Amino acid sequence: MPVVDVDPDELRRLTGAAEKSDEALKTDLFNLGLEYEGETEEGEMQLEFAPDRLDRLSVEGVARSLRYQYGDDRGVYVPKTNDPDWVYEVDPDVPAERPYVTGAVVRGVNLTEQALDSLIQLQEKLHATMGRQRAKGAIGIHDLTMLKGKVLAEDATENSITYTGIEPDGDRFVPLDSDAALTPGEVLTEHDTGKKFADLVSEYDRYPAIYDELGLFSFPPVINGRRTEVSTDSRDLLIELTGTDQWTIDHMCNILCYALDARGGTIEEVEIHYPDATGPYADVGAELVRPNLETEEKEVSHAEIERMLGIELTADEVVDHFERSGLDATYTLGDQTIYTVEVPPYRVDVLHPYDLIDDVGRAYGFNNLEPTYPDVGTVGGRHERTRLEDAARASLIGLGFEDLLNFHMISAAENYDRMRIEPGTDDFGAGEPAVITEPYSEDYTQLRSWVLPSLLMVLENNTHRAYPQDLAEIGLAARVDETENTNVAEHRSIAAVLARNDASYEDAKARLQALCADFDVELDTPAIDHPTFIPGRAAAIVVDGEHVGVLGEVHPAVLVEHDLELPVAAFELRLDALVD
Amino acid sequence: MRLPESQLAVMEAASATDPTSVDSLAEETGLKPETVTRAAFDLRDEGLVSIDETTATSAELTAEGETYLTEGLPEVRLYRAAIEAGATDEPVEMGQLLGTAGLEGSSVNIALSNFARKGYGSIDAGAVSADPDADPDTDSERTALAAIADGESVEDTGLLDQLERRELIERSERTVRSVTLTDDGVTALMEGIEAAETVDRLTPELLTSGEWEDVEFTEYNVEADAPELDGGRKHILRQTADRVKDVLVGMGFKEMEGPHADADFWINDCLFMPQDHPARTHWDRFALDVNPIGSVPEDLAGRVEDAHRNGVSEDGDGYHSPWSREFAEAIALRGHTTSLSMRYLSGYAGADIEPPKRYFSVEKVYRNDTLDPTHLLEFFQIEGWVMAEDLSVRDLMGTFEEFYAQFGITDLEFKPHYNPYTEPSFELFGTHPTTGELVEIGNSGMFRAEVLEPLGIEVDVMAWGLALERLLMLMYGFEDIRDVHGTLCDLQLLRETEVLY
Repeated sequence: MPVVDVDPDELRRLTGAAEKSDEALKTDLFNLGLEYEGETEEGEMQLEFAPDRLDRLSVEGVARSLRYQYGDDRGVYVPKTNDPDWVYEVDPDVPAERPYVTGAVVRGVNLTEQALDSLIQLQEKLHATMGRQRAKGAIGIHDLTMLKGKVLAEDATENSITYTGIEPDGDRFVPLDSDAALTPGEVLTEHDTGKKFADLVSEYDRYPAIYDELGLFSFPPVINGRRTEVSTDSRDLLIELTGTDQWTIDHMCNILCYALDARGGTIEEVEIHYPDATGPYADVGAELVRPNLETEEKEVSHAEIERMLGIELTADEVVDHFERSGLDATYTLGDQTIYTVEVPPYRVDVLHPYDLIDDVGRAYGFNNLEPTYPDVGTVGGRHERTRLEDAARASLIGLGFEDLLNFHMISAAENYDRMRIEPGTDDFGAGEPAVITEPYSEDYTQLRSWVLPSLLMVLENNTHRAYPQDLAEIGLAARVDETENTNVAEHRSIAAVLARNDASYEDAKARLQALCADFDVELDTPAIDHPTFIPGRAAAIVVDGEHVGVLGEVHPAVLVEHDLELPVAAFELRLDALVD
Repeated sequence: MRLPESQLAVMEAASATDPTSVDSLAEETGLKPETVTRAAFDLRDEGLVSIDETTATSAELTAEGETYLTEGLPEVRLYRAAIEAGATDEPVEMGQLLGTAGLEGSSVNIALSNFARKGYGSIDAGAVSADPDADPDTDSERTALAAIADGESVEDTGLLDQLERRELIERSERTVRSVTLTDDGVTALMEGIEAAETVDRLTPELLTSGEWEDVEFTEYNVEADAPELDGGRKHILRQTADRVKDVLVGMGFKEMEGPHADADFWINDCLFMPQDHPARTHWDRFALDVNPIGSVPEDLAGRVEDAHRNGVSEDGDGYHSPWSREFAEAIALRGHTTSLSMRYLSGYAGADIEPPKRYFSVEKVYRNDTLDPTHLLEFFQIEGWVMAEDLSVRDLMGTFEEFYAQFGITDLEFKPHYNPYTEPSFELFGTHPTTGELVEIGNSGMFRAEVLEPLGIEVDVMAWGLALERLLMLMYGFEDIRDVHGTLCDLQLLRETEVLY
């Protein structure tokens, strides 16, 4: 879940709640769904929250939410925008993988240290969340005074920048945190930030690049040029976002504009000129004006709100709750009261009218609702498979076994090698491994194909504990099987070991016999060879005519491999063999 | 008079004039001291002997005491090093002496503090002067340690106190009992006492012959510990799971069952998780290196894709994320058992899903998280849902209050939360029954229309999930879940953990 660092003094200043103590702020924030996790070295509060309200990724957005909660603000707020002065030309050479661009110009921002830190944090957090680590959307923010736009026509006042694609060994520029002029290709191999994000573009034929009259100044989504670096002296900013989805970058841009508006900036629109309205631009059109701060409307009925929350409300109360959530609502009373709700452009979480009911519930206070037990009658019961498993477990425990519970993931070494078997052979337990593509570590590379290896591992890890150690487990085992819809055959297996000074084949078989007798199934134990067991002391478990397991005295080589210094008799069989 | 053999033996060994200790009686009779003691108390109850009790103190060396006995007291070692270095003539720098004396760590301070106390010399400004007249061979503390080690008694209580303060010895007290014949006892002996026949075991022969009527049974020390025995027992995590299942069945829930390795379609896509959601990246889940799923229901897959792209209902929006059938069909270990809920709600698990219904499972899920004392790569998830007409969030709250109250967790708090698949959503917090801390105990919500409509469900469904291990740790107070679940488990811990019910 995202974490945002918030300076409590800034928060008090931006909300105007100078009198609130840190503790009072924490309680108010918890009620918004922002959980206090601790503080940074600089004394900022670290607040964790679910990734729906991404407008809260900066102190400005958190303050706005608090002002609504306190009732200091009500209803939808949309910043005013000035007409465009800048054009973002998109060249047909732009990389096909990253066709979209958006942005804004913001003038007269008061970038204090804190405001600049907050802007950088917001940019990083938006990259991490909506931007999917910059793959889906990446932000570049530039000092406008360092840019020289291309004048489009002699009589026009508009300036332009160009989003295009260039060869990896194309024009050089000086990236941030560097003194040398590098080509985009060199940035990916020589610059720290470049190396970190190289994977994003390394497959591209042409790399994304943004030019002004003076040359290349941004290499999205990797790094900006040093020429246009933003500092606390910057007053006018140019924001550009590139990405794989227009809606996503437009909304990332909206959240940035709201934050800069709270810092006194004036938002100025920009024009986006795509080459044409075909291909990737068919849905968005050839010419756009951004940022698009228009509100959106959704309808929700009064009956649905009351049904979902389980309470009665008047229409005015509902409107009040909407306004306290930063929304506006109008309604016409009637048989079916329907609210038309206006949603501001920084809300990226409202997909369905239900999302608006959630806002009403939060404004009302979910903890103010009286819980009720639903008046719904149903009949409960256990699944047959777990009833069987429990009955078998009860028999094993009655026979003196300590019940165990081990992991389903295991290494090939434990599952096969240390048991002296090989994958894909006919030996019981040697099924084809269901291999994990990217395992956590070499200890967990596949699903276990049988359960005995887990019990041997428990014995190995408990040689310092009192004997006898009579252990059993009923648990999942799985192997690749292309006749299954999922291509993995899963079954429950019963495994048992007797580790004691005098453990013998007979001891194990006596217990197996008792188990089979409990479930009234017929047991035969014809002799077999199985590498895990001592030759001449291993048998197949055949239940009602079917080969379902293996029984025997564990081979000394397996015991020594597991650092065991006493004999072990063992058996394993499929749980479903006990079904009469 | 007839007495058991042991009592008669004690009577015969005891004297009417001199108290005889239990140990001496044991030696003389060849009985165990505890048998003699028991016999003596029985005889006292009959008025045949009297028992005197005195307290004896004994001392034993501690491990530290043993070490000093063999290696020498630290102050003596320092003194000998000082003599060798000529510290009788002029002071020698301490660091040098510590090295030759082989002193380090805590023994340095021990040496320094006892050196001056015992008159071996003086320490001034980091230099040691040794008194040439001191004689370490007659060091009274060392002599006393040697005496105690040989089992001899040391009478000087001041010296013993000093050794105890230095933690070189441990003193213990025990009761010494001595037995004296009373006048009645002497009389009884003179009149003659017969030994009753005693038997050790009740045998089938004794029973069938009727001989059992004429014998006395040897008495056992019924208070003594018996050998340890570890019986079979159900794993405590299973016990906890069973308790959860009992509670849920009692609340009208039926159990679900389904595959651990499943298509992402059932694990995530049906749940309206966008395909570029961070939890669906390879480093968060365990994909399996097998072919994609053979089939998913065509009509359902179409409706799910449409919900992702366009949303549901007139006003609804979809995600601005890519969606591909291929991605949905890849097989992975399930990250939550909500995949079972999806299979059941879709009707493809073959279960009856006419509303109203309650379903649950307590089964394993797999997450590529960092392995630590509170996180495992695979753990049990308690999953439950209720499907009925007109459910509200109040019904959801009431259901969970009822469930958690069964485990002693009351005063639930519902923190508004966000999940891609539920709205409204709540994180559940409860007060820890012993520490009083507010802890997260589950995640819940009403399934979104984007989840239910493609499944063909026209009523409300509320659902929740919770890690069983978290409940276990709350109930038992374990600090490291790896001691319990998995092959690193500690058998001793599993054997000793108290049974809860």
